[in-house]
Amino acid sequence: MFSRTMMQPGCAAKLAAAATLVFMVALFFQMMRTLQTYRWRRYFFVALGFLFPVGFIWQLFALRGSMSIPVERMLSGDTPFCFLAIPMMILPAAIARTVIFPGSILPTASNPHAIAAMVALWFAATLVLGKGWCSYGCFFGGIEEGFAAIPKKPRIRRIDPRWRWMPWAVLAAIVLLSAATLEPVYCMWLCPFKAVTEYPAVRSFETAVQMGIFITLFLGLVVALPLLTKKRTQCSFLCPFGAFQSIFNKTGAFDIRIDQSQCKPCLLCEKACPTLSITPEAVRAGKPLLSCMKCGACVDACVRDAAVWHIKGTDVGASSERARLMQLYSAWAFAVMFGGSIIAATLEKLFGLMV
Amino acid sequence: MKKLRSILGNSGAVLTLALAALTPFLLYGWFQTAIGAAGLHIDPTYSGGQVSHVIERASYRIVVNRPVPRRSPLQRIGPFVQVAWTPAASLPAHLSDDLDLDGDGTPDVRVAIDTHNLVVDITPLTARYRPMHSQGVTSFSALIARVNDSLVVRIPLD
Repeated sequence: MFSRTMMQPGCAAKLAAAATLVFMVALFFQMMRTLQTYRWRRYFFVALGFLFPVGFIWQLFALRGSMSIPVERMLSGDTPFCFLAIPMMILPAAIARTVIFPGSILPTASNPHAIAAMVALWFAATLVLGKGWCSYGCFFGGIEEGFAAIPKKPRIRRIDPRWRWMPWAVLAAIVLLSAATLEPVYCMWLCPFKAVTEYPAVRSFETAVQMGIFITLFLGLVVALPLLTKKRTQCSFLCPFGAFQSIFNKTGAFDIRIDQSQCKPCLLCEKACPTLSITPEAVRAGKPLLSCMKCGACVDACVRDAAVWHIKGTDVGASSERARLMQLYSAWAFAVMFGGSIIAATLEKLFGLMV
Repeated sequence: MKKLRSILGNSGAVLTLALAALTPFLLYGWFQTAIGAAGLHIDPTYSGGQVSHVIERASYRIVVNRPVPRRSPLQRIGPFVQVAWTPAASLPAHLSDDLDLDGDGTPDVRVAIDTHNLVVDITPLTARYRPMHSQGVTSFSALIARVNDSLVVRIPLD
């Protein structure tokens, strides 16, 4: 009976949409019921992180039968654009109005992931979420968050705080190098997620080295270190886009504060933070570092309700639940529209397999 | 002052909520249109540059682009000029053309192409162009590739 239902035209799409809707509504309901944000958001985020590559790779195989992109497809502007390239584009676009990426500006039949579409999406997301993009929008962060969730306790507890500067160093290096070489340096040499999305066809020693770097960084920063530390290590130690997005923590309406009148301090929030954005100094200052991605892990972990959601300009702790709800409505609306559509599209393909 | 900051903060929060609701219906489309109309173009290293002139032959056309110079001392991709034979389906198995690439009326390179095996031989007739014997893609500045309905050759420049 199930397979007969699945044979109907568009049935897989309807089932996928229904399953996604139930999933997202159930998580939101749990967020409301338990007053916890991080725990339930994580289910969505991990689902997004693991389903996005499945759907993307599926699409690549349907389009050209391979995950690798040959130069011929680059020349025809068929490389799907990824938001991680945005920081590298800014200087050449501002100076020479050129985009140093082998894609197309507007969507085409052979490349729906065009530059204008992705930049528009990023801009809207930045207005709504700011750095919260890393918690609700980034379809790569969920992979390492998934691996970080597996162990009960971290095996590596002490991480040198100087590693926090690494994403800023990578950001500065790739922005300058990309402007100097007129190539998207991060995409070509450092992006760990090339290993699970799309990579240049290995046709030379150089492309073989690039592929080796992608796989090593993916296995090290996205799989192994999150398993050992229970942290999002790629986001914390490498991701230049995360550092770039941190700048927009200054422009958003919401942030997280630590209410000094309630804080002990027990530093449970420091342990809970997946991106090393809370330090003893930050706790004393009453707010996390600029790299805070507003995931809510510290708020959920705090037993004294000292870590709270906050609307900028208002008193800390005065209306924290209202701040949580307003931030959550905005972020979840975006998550449903963007992440939800990715989850539904991949589920549709998987349900279609059941026929 | 404190009250004003509170009012501004709460207004920002409400505005964020409104933006989230408007994103799929209005903002995303507006932003995409605005970025599309911003006059940005794909770097000529990838796009091959603007078309300079078209040479007509009996069964096909040769589209010659403007030279793409090296624009930065650290740029790894050398200068080149892109030439495309189109439609690729109409090309003979072997073709040989003397091409005027700069439009001054005299041929600049002699191009011999094995269109089935994608092998190209470039013999420069003026000093500006470099010789090339290539099968497939050697680099972004020296290649022969089938791109959509064209046979694209990038001839390296000195």
